[in-house]
Amino acid sequence: MILARIDGHAVTSIGHPSLKAQKIVLCTPIDEHGVDAGSPFAALDPIGAGQHARVFITTDGSWTQDTVHDDTSPIRNQVMGLIDTL
Amino acid sequence: MKVGKVIGNVTLSHADSGFRGGRFIVVAPQGAKELKGQNPSGLSDAWTLVAYDNLGAGVGDDILYVEGAEAMQPFDYRTPLDAISVALLDTFKYAPPIN
Repeated sequence: MILARIDGHAVTSIGHPSLKAQKIVLCTPIDEHGVDAGSPFAALDPIGAGQHARVFITTDGSWTQDTVHDDTSPIRNQVMGLIDTL
Repeated sequence: MKVGKVIGNVTLSHADSGFRGGRFIVVAPQGAKELKGQNPSGLSDAWTLVAYDNLGAGVGDDILYVEGAEAMQPFDYRTPLDAISVALLDTFKYAPPIN
């Protein structure tokens, strides 16, 4: 699981069917001090995290296949929770 | 899942039959600088990669791609893929906090 900060979002109309009606956020990995720690990546956001919220993200593809109800989904990253304190 | 820019394509005269229906694109991974629009070339320091594409991505398009074992998940048979395009981006916004 990755600590990250939500820094933006992406909009798509042509993509894998499992992305339909999903919110896609762009995140920056952070370290334990909240400092940027890697290059940005995209994730599904089923919980509706706001801009600059600190979150943790799972990279478990099979969990995402379960939650989008699509065994053919190649998506791995998904926001799992909002961080209150770190 | 990462943002990439399509910068070319790869054509093959002989390929594994499992690859039929798609084609291969050359993708430049987009780093923070590129997403913020501070690098007009759109080419980051990260290595470019080749990904399978069945969405019809063209040169210059921004896409989301997935790397790793999950890349072969859309297929109902085993293929040796480890990078695939999953979405063509209409728009995106990337605005890290300023400091």
